[in-house]
Amino acid sequence: MKKISRALALTMTCALALPAFAQDKPVAGEVKEGSLKGKTLTFVSYGGIYQDGQVAALKEFVDKSGVTLLNDGPTEIAKLKAQVDAGNVTWDVVDTADLPPYVHCGTLFQKLDLSKLDVSKIPQGQVGECSVPAMNYGVVLMYKNEAYKDNPPKSWADFFDTEKFPGVRAIDGSGDPTGGLIEQAFKAAGGDPKAMTSDDIEKGIQKLRDLGPDTIYWKTGAESQQLAESGEADMIMMWTGRAMTAVKNGAAYTPVWQDWLVVMDQLTIPVGVKDTDAAYALINAYLGANAQAVLTEKTSYTPINMDAKPKVDEATAAFLTSTPERNAQGYQQNIPFWVKNFDLAAEKWNALLSGN
Amino acid sequence: MRFFPATEPIACLASPVAPGLLSKREMMMTATPDDGQRAGTAVDAAHSPFLPRLRPRGAVWLTAPAVLVLLVALAYPLGIVVWRSFSDPAIGIDNYVWFFQSAVNRTVLQRTFVVAAWVTLACLICAYPYAYAMTIVGRNMRLALILCVLVPFWLSGVVRTLAWVILLQDSGVINSILRGIGLSPVKLIRTLPGVVIGMTQVLLPFMILPIYSVMKGIDTRLLQAARSLGARPWKAFLQIYVPLSLPGVYAGAIIVFILSLGFYITPALLGGPRSILLSSLVQNQVLSLLNWGRGGAMGVVLLVATFVLLAIAAPLMRQKHTSSRREA
Repeated sequence: MKKISRALALTMTCALALPAFAQDKPVAGEVKEGSLKGKTLTFVSYGGIYQDGQVAALKEFVDKSGVTLLNDGPTEIAKLKAQVDAGNVTWDVVDTADLPPYVHCGTLFQKLDLSKLDVSKIPQGQVGECSVPAMNYGVVLMYKNEAYKDNPPKSWADFFDTEKFPGVRAIDGSGDPTGGLIEQAFKAAGGDPKAMTSDDIEKGIQKLRDLGPDTIYWKTGAESQQLAESGEADMIMMWTGRAMTAVKNGAAYTPVWQDWLVVMDQLTIPVGVKDTDAAYALINAYLGANAQAVLTEKTSYTPINMDAKPKVDEATAAFLTSTPERNAQGYQQNIPFWVKNFDLAAEKWNALLSGN
Repeated sequence: MRFFPATEPIACLASPVAPGLLSKREMMMTATPDDGQRAGTAVDAAHSPFLPRLRPRGAVWLTAPAVLVLLVALAYPLGIVVWRSFSDPAIGIDNYVWFFQSAVNRTVLQRTFVVAAWVTLACLICAYPYAYAMTIVGRNMRLALILCVLVPFWLSGVVRTLAWVILLQDSGVINSILRGIGLSPVKLIRTLPGVVIGMTQVLLPFMILPIYSVMKGIDTRLLQAARSLGARPWKAFLQIYVPLSLPGVYAGAIIVFILSLGFYITPALLGGPRSILLSSLVQNQVLSLLNWGRGGAMGVVLLVATFVLLAIAAPLMRQKHTSSRREA
């Protein structure tokens, strides 16, 4: 009885205080006081400083809604598939790499009901059928100051020109192929990335192969950072977060911002989660300007709410990708193309990475 | 008598240590004195008021806990893997056709066995003298040597491998020293030798311990006897000691070889594209492409190949072993 009356009172309070909520569209970053009391959500991401930052960004949501937030990770699509196949999904909101939500849309990830989310502040073109961005970052070409002195590389074309710019290259070999890089390689081979066909993937990969046997394929972000800090490679393809940390740690490298590759992590709701609405509430809160500012301050990754005003130091600001200048220089890979050719690209990429 | 129990190659996929091996080796070591004594021990046990009566047949039940664990944790998942390799996405042998049609897979499979062989050889070269030294030094020194073997077990493999990155890389410790003394630097990291060095260090204990445990049971008076009959020291060593230590060498070699086949982190961090091993390709199929059928097929191919190789090697080893025993 007591419980019911308390629940009633709470509902009444909410109904009186926030009458607009019932009909209006949700607002990013807002959540009803006590609305998820007694509920539990499991948030899955990649751990480390990134997930810590995400949890910090979600603190307001947790405090206000009364939800119990559990953390798990790292994200593995295979684990998620096992959960979905078994009909026992324990991951409620999952942070993934950029392509999986497109490749497995509707099978592993729910098609999103955008009336339950406020996506109005997300930069254009980043909301997918099954995903919203979790943050933005870039893949940037870092060159060693000492190696090129007065004549540094200025673009990906120079990265692929081993005659004018000799030296060891290091490439992201941590997982799936980076579509943007293959497009740039194809361009360097004389092709037009906009008119790329599935047959052209091999041409792009061949251009990478032509960089020679000394090319390093790093396996983890930490490894790429280590390569820069020890001066092991002359040109390194790096994630902006790692590039920033390496420079802060004293690596004498400079970023080339022309055609930096736009990348994002995605937030998704797996098929078969027990409380879909609670998952939507979490994502909607995550998209808020304050939450995104906190995320950036803690992680240095770029916020995906255009109103977010993070306070960051100069070194971090130098690697944020959200300024108008950076927006103009960024290169967006052809997502539909890579989603359609995911298996083929992965197969050719793996062949390259295993020395064939 | 089979040289290896059937569970060994299975263990190479799932378990960090091949469980059947050590016990097998111990069996071989104790086989000679044991054969005659077994009946007597059983009688003693039967007469002892403190020990429960155990008929030999009842002893089979002593293996029940281990068998249960193997069934649940090994046989069942392995069964699923095999089943998936023939049924995912469609019933048939498509996954195997795909495996052998792909040049990448064939090259990497071959490379995996070659690397495993090199690592086994390198481990043997390092471990044999080390284990021998452990048997001839004093007690404190022996403790120190054992500690040196065991300490690496207390560190995570990733940490050890990253330490090798720092040592081996072009701007690393080894090359800095080479440059410092005026020599030209050598390419170590992202090469096959680099991978072999790293894997050898990680796997060395698995070679040293079996060899040592056999060596410490060798009666050194046999060597004295050989010397007193006029054999030169090196000849006594080669003809008496080495053959007696071979069971440990075989056991260690098999453990190291099988563990090498499943290595993933070390080749990924120390190797380049030309030293990627099969486990990386399996990982890619399973985790990235979600082709569990193909991943399963790759695992099964590796398993069967290992099995075949050991089946071929086993009779050779057995023959050598028995003949050397006769000599001894």
